[in-house]
Amino acid sequence: MSKEGGEKKELVFNGIPASPGIAFGEAFVVNVDDFMIDEDKVAPEAVDDEVARFKEALGETERELFEIYGKMQDDMGDEHAKILDTHRMILSDEIMINDTIRHIKDDRMNAAYAFNSVLDKTLKKFDAIKDNYLKERAEDIRDVKRRVLRNIFGQRIEGLDKLRKKVIVVAKSLTPSDTAGLKKQYVQGIVTDRGGSTSHAAIIARSHGIPAVVGLRNFTKFVKPRDRLVVDGTMGQVVLRPSVETVKEYEEAQRKFMEMEKELLTIKDYPAVTLDGHTIELAANLETTDELDDVIGHGAKGVGLFRTEYFFITRQNLPSEEEQYKYYSSVVKKLAPESVIIRTLDVGGDKIARWSHDYQESNPFMGWRGIRFTLTRKDIFRTQLRAIYRASAHGSVRVMFPMISVVEEVIAAKEICKEVKEDLVRERYQVGDEVEIGIMIETPSSVAIADHLAKEVDFFSIGTNDLIQYTLAVDRGNSRISYLYNALHPSILRMIRDTVNAAHKAGIWVGVCGEMPANIHGALLLLGLDIDELSASPYLLPEIKKVVRSVTFDETRALAKKALQLKTADEVRTVIEKFISERRPELKELIPEATR
Amino acid sequence: MVTRTVKVKNKNGIHLRLAGELVKAASMFSSEIMISKDSQEVNAKSILGVASLGAEYGAELVIKADGEDEEEAVSYLVKMIDSGFAEVKDE
Repeated sequence: MSKEGGEKKELVFNGIPASPGIAFGEAFVVNVDDFMIDEDKVAPEAVDDEVARFKEALGETERELFEIYGKMQDDMGDEHAKILDTHRMILSDEIMINDTIRHIKDDRMNAAYAFNSVLDKTLKKFDAIKDNYLKERAEDIRDVKRRVLRNIFGQRIEGLDKLRKKVIVVAKSLTPSDTAGLKKQYVQGIVTDRGGSTSHAAIIARSHGIPAVVGLRNFTKFVKPRDRLVVDGTMGQVVLRPSVETVKEYEEAQRKFMEMEKELLTIKDYPAVTLDGHTIELAANLETTDELDDVIGHGAKGVGLFRTEYFFITRQNLPSEEEQYKYYSSVVKKLAPESVIIRTLDVGGDKIARWSHDYQESNPFMGWRGIRFTLTRKDIFRTQLRAIYRASAHGSVRVMFPMISVVEEVIAAKEICKEVKEDLVRERYQVGDEVEIGIMIETPSSVAIADHLAKEVDFFSIGTNDLIQYTLAVDRGNSRISYLYNALHPSILRMIRDTVNAAHKAGIWVGVCGEMPANIHGALLLLGLDIDELSASPYLLPEIKKVVRSVTFDETRALAKKALQLKTADEVRTVIEKFISERRPELKELIPEATR
Repeated sequence: MVTRTVKVKNKNGIHLRLAGELVKAASMFSSEIMISKDSQEVNAKSILGVASLGAEYGAELVIKADGEDEEEAVSYLVKMIDSGFAEVKDE
């Protein structure tokens, strides 16, 4: 293209602040069907390059199609070969190619605009077709069009794990499969149309310390690949094609933000103890081994939640026992003597692997996921447990099962653990002496029967994200009802209180590994509800520690007690903010400026 | 120039894949071949063109060829459409 969009006016979009910080960079658009295509003319001397760009994109698309359909042929037979054949014919349609090249040469259209105009003319004809079956074939053409356009823009469709340049990821929404293996050094910021502050994109961004704004509604309609962006994850703003002055302003804001972060980090090596001497364990959530340095650098006391599914869903095939053993023990060794809680495979819901679910569930979050999956696929479960127990020889390991809703699941899972351990001893493998077994508390039923469950295990870990979702019956990704998703709702506080009471009565400890402690309101309440351990993204730990070290246990207990009697989440928020301004005004700066 | 009319026999009409088959057949001939339905005329060697006709079951198509092998081309394509793309399996 002859020009960058430099002279176009900057545009400001307001969304939901999802992960604090400021980022600058080029847009990398994923999962978007309709690109914003500008009508910039091509300079006469650049016409040949533009034609070449178009032809290369066609070739690249053909290679891409080969990759996709070639791979699938084994299981789908020649049905895919036929699709591939048809799609290739579209790519080599001479009328389409000649028309596009003519637009580039004669009308000086840029390649994307020219190709898009030609295809749109065809697609318009499809709109006029009355026969529904024939009309729907337009989808195939749209699919090919999308791929070609993406290749004209030089942005191939593939996982974010393949990124090798610094970008701002822009999407309508992101799923765990999209973000699996994402690398912080390349993903500078994340921006999505959909979702609230607890959508997957938001959680992933926070856990990596990547600035993010979500819920921008139709931002993807305005942005095109490689546009310059500023992402202000603290205030929830995105600036498209920022002016020089705007960039300067944000650079200043970024400098301030980093200073505050640095200041928080100065307390990373102090214990998480309240003014009156009550200690709470602060551990980190861990997704991939890439984040280990962050965990250590932010002063975590071990790992409170090691999510193993990412290791599974980022690959084509199931990882072997040996691969898993190496992977788990690398984490265990690095963090010893601190402990690592390894959560067994939690696929299902929105975390689907190529090999895990070969059918579509109508209600995946209530479907075959977590412990329900692994108890059916005992082969996968046993292999994973063998790897975990072998890794336990190298440090302190705890095992945790996700998505428990009935006691039978715990008994069955424990039985398998016992067998696996005995097998390993018989086979003369080293295993740790005391591998504690715990469960996630994330379903309302597990709270209701927490007293029974507590007799079966060594610890609980409350997964607040799912517990809120299931308790309030709200899909956190659905923006129409996401207002219901609120960690401060009295129903959630009571759930946590009941869990803690059952655990402590049985003499076991209880942690929280969801997003709830991510803001000061949640952190204060969890402290006051007598939670023993908090596990969060390493980036959040210094802030949580600052909260813990600035208050007394007694006053947070009184605060929690008061909150438990309130009727609404708003009342709870007000009471907490009143507490902060009256008793601990120095914590005021930790209240997010833009509350949702 | 040779012109002939034929009706679509396939239940699902000439969808994208059949359009592909038709284009492959048309491309074997050197003549310029056009297909029209109602007032729309498209190049028979363009899959996007043929598919965009939306030729449903029973639709009347006019095949027109101009060139050295115009006669063979038209009769081949007419036979193909009239037989419901016999060699091509339709689901």
